[in-house]
Amino acid sequence: MHIVVVGANYRSCPIEVRERLAFQADQLAAAYAALREHVGLAESLILSTCNRVEIYANATSPDGAAARLASFLGAHSRLDPQVLRPQLYTHAEPSSIEHLFRVAGGLDSMVLGETEILHQVKRAYEQAQRHGATGKVLNVLFQKALNAGKAIRAQTGISRGCRSVGTVAIELAQKIFGDLRPYAVLLAGTGKIGELVLKRLSARGVSRVRVLNRSLDRAQALAAFYGGQAYGLEALEGQLLDADIAVMSTASPTALLSRAQVAAVMQARRQRPLCLIDLGVPRNIEPSVGELDNVYRFDIDDLQGLVDHNYERRRQALQASQAILERKVNGFLSWWQEETQGCAQRVSSGLVAAP
Amino acid sequence: MLMVIVHTVCSLLSYAAFLVGFVSGVLFLIQERQLKRKHMGVLFRRLPALGTLDRWNLLAIGIGFALLTIGLVCGVWGSHRLLGVWWRWDPKELLAVALWGSYLVLWVVRARATLRGRKVALLSILGFTLVLFTFLGVSRWLPTWHAYL
Repeated sequence: MHIVVVGANYRSCPIEVRERLAFQADQLAAAYAALREHVGLAESLILSTCNRVEIYANATSPDGAAARLASFLGAHSRLDPQVLRPQLYTHAEPSSIEHLFRVAGGLDSMVLGETEILHQVKRAYEQAQRHGATGKVLNVLFQKALNAGKAIRAQTGISRGCRSVGTVAIELAQKIFGDLRPYAVLLAGTGKIGELVLKRLSARGVSRVRVLNRSLDRAQALAAFYGGQAYGLEALEGQLLDADIAVMSTASPTALLSRAQVAAVMQARRQRPLCLIDLGVPRNIEPSVGELDNVYRFDIDDLQGLVDHNYERRRQALQASQAILERKVNGFLSWWQEETQGCAQRVSSGLVAAP
Repeated sequence: MLMVIVHTVCSLLSYAAFLVGFVSGVLFLIQERQLKRKHMGVLFRRLPALGTLDRWNLLAIGIGFALLTIGLVCGVWGSHRLLGVWWRWDPKELLAVALWGSYLVLWVVRARATLRGRKVALLSILGFTLVLFTFLGVSRWLPTWHAYL
């Protein structure tokens, strides 16, 4: 018995190929039936996400199974086998096991340590179980993999880092408000980073979006896209009364918000907390605004500083993850060895019939 | 006797609620400081958001205040029923009323949003020192009828 994996990810092939390889939820029943009956696998599991499509299997011989799985993927994607083959990778144990544990831990992800993949692995496992595709070996393997993924994240903090100014800004806003859904966002200026932050905030489901710009057309275009309203820049102070998060990224040569202005705004909004993210260079907000009560001001240097800090921590986390990974893989391998030996012994002692 | 039990239980539970208010106040101050100093340490990631801590604080103080009110009313009433006096000018009684007043003020200030964030957190910490003194300090340092600790 062998644990093999055949698949493709964002490194091995472009998005066009991954799109063709991907399995939709309603295709899974047929796919698992085919894997069982035509490919002849006792146990199998399909992991299909936007960054990877992989099939894990418990097979009697690794080579034959890998080749059959590759043909199965070729047939499913309707891609020329000549084209597809070089873009697929194949692992047999122990590297197939290490590969899965790395995937579950987010170490094989495009954004190192991202947590989404752990949910996706879990979901894939549950779906496979529901289709009756997994047995004892894959059950133990995936439970251990999920456990390893959790351990890596909990013990190394690899997922907690941030990669960009945008994600740091979101994390800060979340540490002020918690769930961002009931809150309103104001974007002043239509610069690229500003829009990126707005995009991320909007993905977090903020309730209201306002876009302010010197030229109203640009503001309107952006506001329409994010389902918000557009205003001229002169509306800034008035709009601040209503906003909870204000992202400033105008090219104004002088500060648009002085300490006195923000102090007056805070009084008028009855000290409701205000998060100011100043992406402008030169800065759009006077730095001393951050000293006001219930005002949290971050400029581009603050955000950049947090990104760099995180990068170093993540590098350290990666090393720590490697150690956990090895331990967890060895843990599974010793179970696996006992399992296969135990099985062989039972066969030789005549307790069960040879498969 | 029932009055005395309700009085004791409600008073103790109100202290517990004020303790929750105190803890969330302390955590709020720590988290706020990290945000203002732009420091994302381990603590920063572990602590809940300011908004969450603020809500806990509001809830804890609201519940604590309600319980304390019930406790006080039952205390006064029980005293009248058992001892025939409404009020004995006991230091603990005075402090408990002062405590009730302070949390009333804190609740009103918080609910009307005259003060927010750090200042409310500070006040709830201050309020809890009064709780500690009422709960533990009185029987040690002042002559009282409520000497059981």
